[in-house]
Amino acid sequence: MGNSNGDSGEVQQERQRNCDISNSWNKMKGITEENMPKECDSSTVELRARKNGFKDNVVEAAPTNGCLKNCTANTTQCATANGTACSNSNSNSKQSLYTPAKKLSEFAAEHTRKTSFEEVPLHTACLTYLGFYLLMILGYINQLLFVPKVAKEENREGYVTLYDAFESFYSRYVYRRVRDCWNRPICSVPGDEVTLKDRVTNDYGWSFQFTGTETRCLNLGSYNYLGFADATGPCAEQSEETAREMGLAMTSTRVELGTTQLHLDLESLTARYLGVEDAIVFGMGFATNALNLPSLISPGCLVLSDEKNHASIILGLRLSGATTKVFKHNNMRDLERVLRYNVVHGNSKNGGKPWKKILILVEGVFSMEGSIVRLPEIIALKKKYKAYLYLDEAHSIGAMGPHGGGAVDYFGADPKDIDILMGTFTKSFGSAGGYIAGSKRLIDFLRTNSHAHCYASSMSPPIAQQIYTSMSIIMGLDGTDTGRQKINQLARNTRYFRRRLAQMGVITYGHEDSPVVPMLVYLFSKIGAVVRTLTTRHIAVVGVGFPATPIMEGRIRYCLSAAHTKEQLDYALEVIDEISDRLGLKYSRKPREPNTIEY
Amino acid sequence: MLKFLKNMLLSLYMQYELVTCIYMFEPWEKKLINSFVLLTLSLVIFSSVVYLPSYIETFLRFVSPLPEEEGGASYTPMLHTEKMSMS
Repeated sequence: MGNSNGDSGEVQQERQRNCDISNSWNKMKGITEENMPKECDSSTVELRARKNGFKDNVVEAAPTNGCLKNCTANTTQCATANGTACSNSNSNSKQSLYTPAKKLSEFAAEHTRKTSFEEVPLHTACLTYLGFYLLMILGYINQLLFVPKVAKEENREGYVTLYDAFESFYSRYVYRRVRDCWNRPICSVPGDEVTLKDRVTNDYGWSFQFTGTETRCLNLGSYNYLGFADATGPCAEQSEETAREMGLAMTSTRVELGTTQLHLDLESLTARYLGVEDAIVFGMGFATNALNLPSLISPGCLVLSDEKNHASIILGLRLSGATTKVFKHNNMRDLERVLRYNVVHGNSKNGGKPWKKILILVEGVFSMEGSIVRLPEIIALKKKYKAYLYLDEAHSIGAMGPHGGGAVDYFGADPKDIDILMGTFTKSFGSAGGYIAGSKRLIDFLRTNSHAHCYASSMSPPIAQQIYTSMSIIMGLDGTDTGRQKINQLARNTRYFRRRLAQMGVITYGHEDSPVVPMLVYLFSKIGAVVRTLTTRHIAVVGVGFPATPIMEGRIRYCLSAAHTKEQLDYALEVIDEISDRLGLKYSRKPREPNTIEY
Repeated sequence: MLKFLKNMLLSLYMQYELVTCIYMFEPWEKKLINSFVLLTLSLVIFSSVVYLPSYIETFLRFVSPLPEEEGGASYTPMLHTEKMSMS
């Protein structure tokens, strides 16, 4: 296995470098077309792609013939999705090339069984739009009649307004009415419980005053999946020690004076944790996406991005200048349609010449939908069309899989099949920052080219220590099975909470194993009502409304944690049941589970 | 009993507030919308009480087969438009 993986790693490195060499494919083309059909039993589409001169796959296969064989073996390895050793012999790879089809359909069936996106009832849809129009109309009337109680630009004759008009209108006259449900100040560690600082508003959300009191709430709003956000325990102690020893900040970039042994250790531990060759860490999760994507792709590249991808990815894609095609959320048929069209037709802006690179960009767990990426199918597609795969594991790393290794671990895929593994430390590790992991070549490339590495201040030592300690605990390097227990606890909590919610008859979105549980309330006013009511019952949740989701799909998002106990969840579920009766949230028309659900 | 009725009405009003987003508005806006809704409702009720019976009567006469006293063969509904005028 080691041998095969090592070789395939080199293939990827080779790819990484070679895809920038724009004219080498011509002379290699002859070799490839001779060899490819013989080596791997490819489908007609694959051949068509190659005949159309799709550059990446040609170049990838070009360097040596040996590489080609490894690449084929690698395909089977992923497709059988067991990550076990797979010999390089040609017969073996040919034989198992047929198994993926069956396996993949199984994966697809399992995915559809476990994932639910229930349709909105028609009358609710109409009412949601009606309510939204009412809010807008009254907002405009309000704006017309009264001067807003906020700062105005003065002495600016002739200037257009600097701030976006609709945005300020929206936040003043729609968002402001329920502003007390968001940006609530807290004054404790956001563990299983959180302390909210109470505040009141006397002018309907224009301004807030602190009352001086505090409310202790059950915390269902933090991405503290494994419960490592804690003011006590080994993580906190070691972080404190590091802060005393090394200070709070490096005040320099990684390439200058900001690299310490701790950062290097963290990078090697991250690589080991993910089962890849190398990793690079950044001090900011958002910047990991936004600033590294432009160094990987450039104009002339094509990016296939899931429609529900996070804002940081979208920003990164815009900065890179690459052509972005959006495919429907988690829809493999749509992804294949877009992929095939673009492989066949090439870059229309460049006279139909092939794209420089094609990158598929998906997230592991989608934070607003609570759905999980269909990784086995995407890997199969990526291999079929020879595209690169960038997987953002921001929400899935730590939270998914039997070893906490994210979506890759959950599906038992080979991490080397994903070209670029990205994730953040902000969620499961209870810290901050992000990482990119992959082949050594990719990471070395990023170390020299990434703006987030060269120009941004390096990660603060106590933060790095928190990640290091929590990651060691997850991996079981501290000699206990605390990490394993936490992962199991999270999985049990998730399944219990989701099934109980489904039994109640509220509509939840997403996959049954995803710890992000969006509960659909649709109407803007209901978001506010639910958040307010739950706060009075000492439960803190997050409401998500229009700018972050489509108008139609206002929702309450519960984030489960390994730190929650069954009693806490039972209390929360009881309250949710009660208020969803009162506020009318039980939209679901699915048959309900009649039996009590075991924890 | 009275309390129960009051509670039920209150929860109904709450539902109405929620589904129309009135829940989010300031008191004067709530009054504005509610009075608008009440005005519309009262107009609809008034008009249906005053005009609807005669409307329905003419409509029924319009769609129903020919009344016997008028004699059969020459009847075509399109020619009886004067029946639609308000009584």
